[in-house]
Order: sequence, then structure tokens, then C-alpha cells
Amino acid sequence: MNEILEILSYPFVIRALISGSLISICASILGVILVLKHYSLIGHGLSEIGFASLSISSALKISPMIISVPSVIAASFLIMLTKAGDTAIAVASSAALSLGIIISSLTNSISNTSSFLFGSVLAVNEADLIFSVILSFVIIILFVIFYNRLFLITYNEDYARSLGINTAFYQIMISLLTALIVVSGMRIMGTLLISGVIILPAVSAKNLASGFKALIIISGVISILAFLTGLIISFIFNIPTGAGIILTNTIILILTRAIKTK
Amino acid sequence: MIRLELENAVIKYGDTAIIKNFSLKVESGEMIFVTGSNGSGKSTLIRGIAGLLPLSSGKIFRAERVSYVPQVEEADRNFPATVKEIVLTGTQRKGKLFYTQNDKKLAEKFMKELGIFELSDSKIKTLSGGQLRRVFLARALCGEPELLLLDEPCAGLDAESHKILFGCLQKILEKGCAIIMVTHDDSDLEGIKNSRVIEMSNNHE
Ligand SMILES: Nc1ncnc2c1ncn2[C@@H]1O[C@H](COP(=O)(O)OP(=O)(O)OP(=O)(O)O)[C@@H](O)[C@H]1O
Ligand SMILES: [Mg+2]
Repeated sequence: MNEILEILSYPFVIRALISGSLISICASILGVILVLKHYSLIGHGLSEIGFASLSISSALKISPMIISVPSVIAASFLIMLTKAGDTAIAVASSAALSLGIIISSLTNSISNTSSFLFGSVLAVNEADLIFSVILSFVIIILFVIFYNRLFLITYNEDYARSLGINTAFYQIMISLLTALIVVSGMRIMGTLLISGVIILPAVSAKNLASGFKALIIISGVISILAFLTGLIISFIFNIPTGAGIILTNTIILILTRAIKTK
Repeated sequence: MIRLELENAVIKYGDTAIIKNFSLKVESGEMIFVTGSNGSGKSTLIRGIAGLLPLSSGKIFRAERVSYVPQVEEADRNFPATVKEIVLTGTQRKGKLFYTQNDKKLAEKFMKELGIFELSDSKIKTLSGGQLRRVFLARALCGEPELLLLDEPCAGLDAESHKILFGCLQKILEKGCAIIMVTHDDSDLEGIKNSRVIEMSNNHE
């Protein structure tokens, strides 16, 4: 207990707590749509492009946002609008991962590379914190306003189009938000693991929820629970943050699966 | 009032023109039956009118509020949604984001008429094929369409539901809705007074 209190006295921990909780909630809400629309791989593809851009910006010694925001957004539009299949995403993401590794191993220390890949709570500075607070706020507001639309479009895009609704607008909105969540979450959760933070809570929640609304809420609750538990685990065992969070998420997934089949 | 006007419409899949120089004018209160053999292009025509397929050439004017019941609903049967949630989506329109009290009343009314009101809170994956069909019909009807597009709506319906559906259709025709309905059943053609039949043919090029 004392240990936890002591940990909480560090400002970087508080930043990581706030930023990580908000990102977790928003990532899992977006995850519901991505899972139901069978776009589970998109986060994975984007985050490896994020890794490449992190490596490049660290080699060039510039702020990571400058390269990662535009490149991840561009990639997300490409994936969503061309309805890129699993194969295209897998090809692009492994290419980006290898590019990132090459640049990183030529210019960076191993520990730096590993913190890019698996996440670190030390990574959240004040600008990141502000960015994630604003982004989360925007995502939650958009979800409240467009809830009925997102439900319709996630269920059946063709039907939405027959009603005269501009489905491309919502696709762009979802891909843009996914890209921004990936970028803003990738340093704390790790570029290899942020996609799991997006997808896993939704998959677990699917085992418990009966409707769309319940799915979103349960997914958000699971996500924040997994984040906090994962963070504590990563402190206690001194392991990368992202790995602790995904481990917790995986355990929750197995538990919800067991509850469902019972 | 004109609900739909097609002028020399051409709809293609790849290089094959399935609908060729097709013209059609539908007034409010009219019922158009579309018949023809499998593969003759009935669904293609309906999808074109619904705005799901582009016209390669020609002109289209369609009423503002169009509802559509596809031949096959291409959506995930396991989607976590209840009957009520799906039916209500039929009231959405461009620029209208929230459901009104009236939308909820309409959804309730058509669920009752089509005999699925007891299933309001059931998950769609627990429904039978015919029940699900009625959900999609209720969804289309509660949008209060000016033009209703039905692609083989009776497939999977029992005789009772079939009769109820035609009762509903007759009522909305009288209110000024126009309906275009694909059917393979000749006995359907006699049920409605103000109606025409269009037969599609199978020579695509
Ligand atoms: N997605 C598609 N891509 C390419 N060709 C298609 C596609 N959908 C339909 N076709 C072709 O278009 C033609 C018309 O198909 P359509 O589904 O409109 O027929 P239909 O009259 O509705 O038949 P049915 O009575 O079986 O429902 C067929 O030759 C079919 O092979
Ligand atoms: Mg057909």
C-alpha cells in the first residue's frame, strides 16, 4: 500500500494515470465499432506505422507527433477507404515494422527501441497529457451526438446509404479517431500493444453484453480496469506498461469467455 | 406527385450492362410490381433506385424519403442489437441524428401490426428467418417513406404475415406512398388496385 502511495507522488505517474485511463476508455469504445465491423487489424497496422514514424523522428531528433500524426492518419484513410483486406494490412505493417527496426537499431539504444515497442509510463509529457485529454473529450462527445448513426452504420452500411446518409463521412471520422488514439496511446501502451488495448476490451465485452449500448459501456469499464491493474503489475514486476495491460486484458477475456459458456 | 423518375438509366456490373436504357415514372399511390426470371436484373434495378449502385448513364429523380427492404440483409446475424433498436434505425435520415417521440410511436405501431412487438427486446440473433424479415419490413415502414422499395419481401413469410403485409401496403398507398416491389408470385399481382407490372428480361450485354 505504502509503495503505491509513494509511486503516486511522482508527477509522471499521475500524468500516465490520467492520460492512460482516458485513452483506454476511448480506445475501447472505438474498438467496439472496429471489432463489429471486422476491422480488428486496422489498429495493428496503424501502430506499426506509428513505430516506424517514432523511430524516424527519434533518429532526426524531432518531436514524434510531427511525423506520426500525418503518417498514421494517411495510413488509416488508405486502409478504410480502399477497404484494404487483412493481407494488405499485414504486408504494410510488417514492412513498416522492419523499417522502424532498421532505423532504430542504427540510431537508437536497445532500451529506447523496446520502450517504443512495449510502452513506458515515463513517456507521457505534459503536451501528451493535454493532447489525450482533449482527444478523449472530443471522442466521447462525438459518440454521444452520433450514437444512433454509428449504431446504424456499424450494423449495416448499405442500409444507411439507402436512407441517404453520407457513410463516407462516418468512415473518415472513425479512421481519423482511430489514428489519433493510436498515436496518442502508442508511447505509453507500446506500438506493438496499443492495438490490443483497442480490440481486447470489446472482444471481452461481447461475451457479456446483449445490446450495442451495453457493449460500449462494459468495454469501457473493462478497459480502464485492465489499464489500472496492468499499470500496477508493471510497477511491481518492473515490466513494460503495455505488456502488463495486455496481460490483464487477456485474463479478463478468458474469464468473460468462461462466464459466457457457463 | 412524382415519386420516382428514371430516364434512360444504365446500370452496369463491370462492363456488363444489367439495366439498359430503362425509363420509368412512378406517381404517388402507385404500386409497381417487378417480375422476371432469376438473374434478369430486378435486384440490380432496386439497388440502383435505392442509391446503392451508380447509374453509368441516364437520369434519376427520387423522392426525399425512400425506404428499402433488401432481398438479403447483408449484415451480421450475431450483431448485438435488439429488434427495437434495428426497427428504429428506419426513421433515420440525412441530417436527423436523434429519435423523436413520434419515431418511437411509429416503430411500436408497425412492430404491433407485423406481430413482432412481443419480440421488441429480443436479440436479433434469436429470431427465425420470417420474424427477421418482418423486422426489416417494420424498419422500412416506420420511416414513413414516400417511395418504398421491396425486393421479394414475401420470401419466408407465412400466409398470415403475407396478408398482414399487403394490408399495410394498401394503407400506405392510400396515404400517397409509391411502392416498387419485386415478386415471383403471380397471385401478388392481383391484390392491389392501382398497380402495374414490369417484366425484366435476361439479355445482358
Ligand atoms: N455484385 C455483382 N457483381 C457482378 N455481377 C452481379 C452482381 N450482382 C448481380 N450480378 C449479375 O447481375 C445480373 C442480375 O442480378 P440480379 O441480382 O439483379 O437478378 P435478379 O433479377 O434480382 O435475380 P433473382 O430473381 O435471383 O433475385 C445477374 O446476371 C448477376 O449475375
Ligand atoms: Mg433479386
